[in-house]
Formats: sequence, structure tokens, C-alpha cells
Amino acid sequence: MSGALLEIDDLTKSFGGVSAVRHCTFSVDEGQVVGLIGPNGAGKSTVVDLVSGFGEPDSGSVTFAGVPLTGKRPDAISRLGLIRTFQTPREWRNLTVMDNVLLGRRKFARESLWRSLTAARRIRRDEELDRAVVRDILERFGLTELKNELAVRLSGGQKRLLEFARIAAAEPRLIIVDEPMGGVNPVLGSRIGEAVRQFATDGLTVIVVEHNLPFIEKTCDKVVVMDLGEVIAQGPFSGLRDNPRVVEAYLGMDQSHG
Amino acid sequence: MYWVSVITEAGIFAILALGLDVVWGWSGDFDLAFYGYLALGSYLTFVLSIGKPTPPVEYIIGWHLPVLLAIPLAVVVVVGLAAVIGAVALRNLREIYFAVTTLAAVSAVYLLVENYTPLFDGYNGVYGLINPGQTALNLTYNGYRIFLLFVVLFLLFLAYLLVQRLSRSPFGRLLRAIREDERAAAAYGRRVFFTKYRAYLLGAALAGLTGGLFAIFISAFNPSAWTPQELLVIYAAILVGGRGNPRGVIAGVFVVYIGFIELTRFLPSPASRPDFGPAMRQILIGLLIILMLRFRPQGIFRERPGVDRGPRPAAAEPAPAPEPGEAVR
Amino acid sequence: MTTFLVSVGIGLATAAILSLSAVAFTLEYAVSRIANFAHGEFLTIGAYAAYSGQRFFHQSVVAAALIAAVAGMLAGLALNACLIEQFRGRSAITVFIATLGAALIVQNVLVIAYGAANLSYSFTQGGLHHVGPFLWTTSDLEVIFSALTVAALIFLLLQRTRFGKAIRAVSQDRALAQVSGIPARRIVMQTWALSGAISGFAGFVLADTIGTFGPQLGFSFLLLTITATVTGGIGRPYATLGGALIVGLVIQIAGAYTSSAYQLVYAFLLLVILMLLRPNGVFVRRTAMEVRA
Repeated sequence: MSGALLEIDDLTKSFGGVSAVRHCTFSVDEGQVVGLIGPNGAGKSTVVDLVSGFGEPDSGSVTFAGVPLTGKRPDAISRLGLIRTFQTPREWRNLTVMDNVLLGRRKFARESLWRSLTAARRIRRDEELDRAVVRDILERFGLTELKNELAVRLSGGQKRLLEFARIAAAEPRLIIVDEPMGGVNPVLGSRIGEAVRQFATDGLTVIVVEHNLPFIEKTCDKVVVMDLGEVIAQGPFSGLRDNPRVVEAYLGMDQSHG
Repeated sequence: MYWVSVITEAGIFAILALGLDVVWGWSGDFDLAFYGYLALGSYLTFVLSIGKPTPPVEYIIGWHLPVLLAIPLAVVVVVGLAAVIGAVALRNLREIYFAVTTLAAVSAVYLLVENYTPLFDGYNGVYGLINPGQTALNLTYNGYRIFLLFVVLFLLFLAYLLVQRLSRSPFGRLLRAIREDERAAAAYGRRVFFTKYRAYLLGAALAGLTGGLFAIFISAFNPSAWTPQELLVIYAAILVGGRGNPRGVIAGVFVVYIGFIELTRFLPSPASRPDFGPAMRQILIGLLIILMLRFRPQGIFRERPGVDRGPRPAAAEPAPAPEPGEAVR
Repeated sequence: MTTFLVSVGIGLATAAILSLSAVAFTLEYAVSRIANFAHGEFLTIGAYAAYSGQRFFHQSVVAAALIAAVAGMLAGLALNACLIEQFRGRSAITVFIATLGAALIVQNVLVIAYGAANLSYSFTQGGLHHVGPFLWTTSDLEVIFSALTVAALIFLLLQRTRFGKAIRAVSQDRALAQVSGIPARRIVMQTWALSGAISGFAGFVLADTIGTFGPQLGFSFLLLTITATVTGGIGRPYATLGGALIVGLVIQIAGAYTSSAYQLVYAFLLLVILMLLRPNGVFVRRTAMEVRA
């Protein structure tokens, strides 16, 4: 398709002598929810790092909305509207939940040192709008009571929801969610699944890296399967069951991973 | 008069500590070059205002600017040096590497100043800035010292307001977030280096300013005023007061500086050992640092994060009309 | 040319002392993962202990050296027990600041005990010797010889003994080492004792080479030590030796052509440049991923 939002082409990366990603190619259309699955060590997280700027590929290219991403720094890529989560939640520990999510809002001009000194009142007023938006988002994720708590005091599950709230506040075009269900209890897991699906409903493009295959089946329009650094299959989930390479890669893996 | 002197000095150090808190408390960088900015600010204030040197004394520049011009100019140069050191050290170095690099940089500058006499007369240092403007203000010596005290306290108040305002601003919030987790900040589009850099320069500017004040206060500056011991009092004060809390930092300085200095005056110093008193003081400071770090690293006053008190009752109003928006914090 | 060679010769002697101090520093880092800012004080304590010991042993350099090593060893044990272990689990920079506080304390305790004035030993001076193109004093020769000996012993220790293997295991991963049956805490303690002993000895040698010394002896040598360690690669004893050699030569050669007062300036500039280009040391390849923002 010509107008894919994200195009990954022949991405390759090795560390030391070890090849982590090899000739990885796939694309994501606007509004799609794409699952990225594969056994541990398949290279999924490396692909995420490379796409989001936390590492430079040895060769290959990444294009986002027509803009080449290779060589760009993570903050530049984020400003283009591509935001990712991390495998372990990375909250800003000694800041409140409110501040954490507020920082998701991309009003960078407000953070100028000079203006913070000279136009403090105006900034505070402008920020009030964002605060209202954030309060709604906190409500949506059930974090309102915790809004003035320091993020470090949250439980693991709450931290994940916090990260989602933060991403929601950023209003990105494309989100990469890196193993959101990792080590999470089923109740919270379904809540997280809801949140991801809600992103999709809101029109965001989503890439989900996950081991939880039922979730992937339920949520994703298309699935990309990786193993040992290569893409071994891509297409709708239903087609994968009959794909011998996929089955072999997952041999021995529990289907209901969580 | 003794107390006037002590409180003035404590006030000057309090401004210094506020600057260091921006770099260390908010930004999280343990900057060991910081005192060097004060020293340079001091030196420059001298050589910009005391006129040409009379041989065998030698130093650079040697203009005769009024102090009110000399100090801002000195600050500009100091920020210039900080721009260089910051550009080198802040780009990719963190934690210990950053600390050691800043220490190496400032030590190099120190050695240069100490040995290259054409700069600031080497080990002798500069002197001669005695109560600038005293005659113009028609004050006695003591009167001037009291005047200076009020000037310092006033400047401290201004610095406090500035820092407080910054602390609660989006800039302050961002700086702290970067301190907590840089990768996450980058993932949300923030320019980590650029933000830290600005904070670093602001801290250095405050240090340069304090250097100028210090020059007026002690009328002389030489390498012996630029020792590790002087440094550590400030860091100890911030540890005691609480990193990231401007009020706490100021309180910390006054507690450590006045409390400690005064306490140790009462220590018996045997006649044969004049070093005993100062040495004991340093030992207590060292102990203070260790104990604070071990048992109360956040300081007496914690960093206080902003509290969100919204939404305001008239939240039904969708229009962003310019109302006095004081609902939060 | 002779200036160059002579300064190379002196550089080697400097490098020898530096290597002792740097290897000790790097061992401390290896097992405890901290940069010990009180490291210089081990040297200073060694120097002062030898000074006090001289009252009993007069001209015996060997006895003085032994006393210095023992004093350093005790200092290492004390610091580990009172500080390092207390701060286990805290961030590296926190411990770093704590060691700064400890350095302050030790220096001033020495000031109280011995006064702030400089002291010196009263050993008889040896003559100058021509060794090939180099010009060395007896002292220099002793220094180089002892440094080589200690370096060789350390090599044997790390490679051939179980203790050495244990050190390497603990420095890689303490928890894993413990699970494998290695008494990590004891190994750490012994490493600090060893490093303290080496440092104490180095302090004595340093003081003897310079001639006079004061409470700041080790502290001023510390930055040089850190430079050498970082140049080679922190946490790796062999690389550190290489780093010490480089730094020792650089400062002596550069200092010979300009002025010896600026020696340290060159060392510090070297450190700053290294931090920019090769923070993991000259002999170590750059790590792959960093945050660039």
C-alpha cells in the first residue's frame, strides 16, 4: 500500500557478533492495530528500539508519514507523533501522577526557562486547559484518586495504567506498546486490553508487542511474527495457525501466556 | 558587627546554594565545578573594577568599572565558561563520570589560576575592593557593612522568588522528570541535553553573581579561599536542607553555616594547635554529610511536588476566558 | 632528545606509583561498584604511619614500607565496614559523596594528630644511576622495582589463585557469586584490605619520592589516580596499568617541555578528553546503545 503510516524496510542490527534483527520488513497503515509477536529473543524489542530512535540500525530504513526516521534522535521521533512505552514501566518516580500525565502533553513551548520566569501567570492559565484534559484522562484510567500521589508509590499495575494515561495525553499518531501485559494479573490484564482497544477505537495507530496470544487475536488487524531476528510471517491472526514456520517457532510455548 | 558579618556570608552562600540546587537538586547532576564559577566571578569582579595593577602585582584586564557594571559582566564571562564545561560534561556523561569530569575541569582551571600569574597574580590573588561606593553613600565602615547585609538579604529574597517560580513552572517539572528518567523524557519529545544545559547555565550565573558579592564582602580573593573545604559546606547544607526544596536549601545553609560555625567556635583549641578548631569543624561537616546521606538523604525538608487542586467549580464553562487562574497549587 | 628520555624515565617512575594507586582504586571499584573518593586517604595514612614508624625503625625502608602497608590495610578494612557496607544498595553517586565526607574527616584527623605542616622522612638519599638512556635515583629504582613486583603479584593473585577468581566473580555479579557459594562479603572485605595495603605502600613511596608531604598528599594524587584508571578502563586491573603508564608518561613529558606546575593540568585535560571520546577507557570498545537526546 502506498500510504502506509509506518514503513520498516530491511532493518538489520547486530550487537557484537550477535545478529539481533535481520532484514526486517513490514508496514503499518493508519488506524491499524498490528501485533508484533514471537518467542523471546526474536528481536521484537530491538525493532521497537530502532524504530523509536533508541538505537541506530546497521542498515535498512524506517519511514513515518513519509519522513525518514533513521538517524533521528528519540525526542525528534517522538515529536513527529510516534510514541512508545517501555517493557518495564518508566514513570517519573518522585513526581505526582498528575505531573506524570501532564508531562505527556506536548506543549513544549511552555517549558522555556525564560518564559517560565517572565510569563508565569499566563503559562499557568494556559496549562489549566491541559489540566482539565488530563483530569478526564485520569478518570478514564481510574487514576483520579491517585492524582497527587507520587508515582513511586503506585503498584506495578497502576504504573502501567499511568503509562497509558500519559500516552493518551500525548495524542500521538502511532503508539508502540511494549509488552503491556507482562507479569500482570488477569483482571488488570483485561483492563489493559480494553485500554489498547480504546486507543484503536479513537483512531490511533497501534503496534503491540505481546506474548498474550488471545489478546492479540482479539485486538489486532494484522500480526507480524518474528523469530531469531527475522520476520517469518505476517497477516491476519487466523492465517497463522496453519503456518508451519509459526507453529514451529512457538513449539512448546504456552498459548495463554500472561 | 560580628553577627552582621556571619549572616551576610550565610546569605551569600544561600544564594550560591540555590544555584547549586537547580543543578544538583532539580537536574540531578553532581557538579563539582560549581565553586569554580564563584571563584571566577569573584576574580573577574576584582579585575574589572580595581584598575590597573601596580607591579609586581599582575593580573589581566584591570578596568575601573563601577561594581554594578563589573558584576554583571563577570557573570557573563562565568556563564561563558560554564557553557564550555557544560557542553563537554553534560552531553553524555552522568553520575560519577559527570562529577569526575567537572572536578577535573575545575581543577585544571584552578591550577591555571594558581600558577599562571599573569592571570590573577597566582598564589597571591587579588585584593583591594574595599566597600565600593561607601563614600558615595556617605556611610561609615560599619554602616556600609550593615548596608551590604541588607543588599545581600534582598538579593537572596529575589533569588528565592526566582527559583521558587521556576520550581513550580513547567520547566521545573520537566527538569525533575529528566532527573528521574531521561529515556522516558526523550520518549516524550523532550530535549534532555538542552534542558539540562539551560539549568546548568542558570546555576552558574547565580554562582557568578555570588562570586561578585563575595568579592565585595571579603575584599580579596586568592586560591586559599578556593579549597575543597569551602565547597563541601555548600553541598552539606543542601543535603541537610533538602534537595529540590528552595526553602529547605536556604534553611540548610543557615543551619549548617551558622549553627556549625558557631558551635565549633566553642570547641577548645589548645594553644599549641591552632589548627584544631578548623580541623574539627571539617570533621563535623564530613560526619554531617555521611549521617545525612545515611539516615535522611532527602533532607529535613522534602521536595514538595505540586498538588493539583482542580477542577475549579465553574468547570461547566468551556470558554477559555482569561479568568484569574489561581486554582491550582 | 635527552630531555625527552629523562622525562620518559621519570614518567616511568611516576607511572609506577600511579599504577599501584590506580590498580587499588580499580579493585575497589570492581568489587564494590563505587568510585572511592577517600582512596587518596589510604595513601596519606600509609605515608603518615611510615613517618611515625620511623621513630622506631630509623633507616629501615623495608620496615617503613611494611608499616605503611599495614596501616593502609587497616584503613581499607575500616572504610569498607563503616561506610561501604552501610551504604550497600544506595546509588553510586550517594556513596561517592559519602566517601568525600570520609576523606574530609580523615584528612582533618591527621591535621589534628600531626599538625598541618609538611613532614618528611629522614632516610639517607641514594645516588643517581644511569640505566640505559634513563636517569634514575635509587629511590626511583626502588619504586619501579616494587611497582613491577606488586603488579606481578597482583597478576598471579588474580589469575592463579582461588581468591583472584572469587574477586572476578564478585566483581561481575555479586548475587550470582554468592549463590555459587562464594562468601562475597568476606571476599569484598579482603579485597579492600588488599587494596588498602597496596595504597598505603604507594603512599609511603610517593611521599618518599616527592620528599615532603602533608595531609593533602593522597587527595591531590587522587585525581591523577582517577585519570589513570579511567584512561585504562575502570574496573579492569590490566587496562588500568596501561592507563597509569600513559598518564605517567604524558604528564612528565608534557611537563618537561612547558613547566612542571602544569603537569596536573595536562592530566586533567586528558581526563576530560577521554570522557568525551572513550569513557570506558582507551583499551575498551565503546558500548553500543546510549540515550541520545
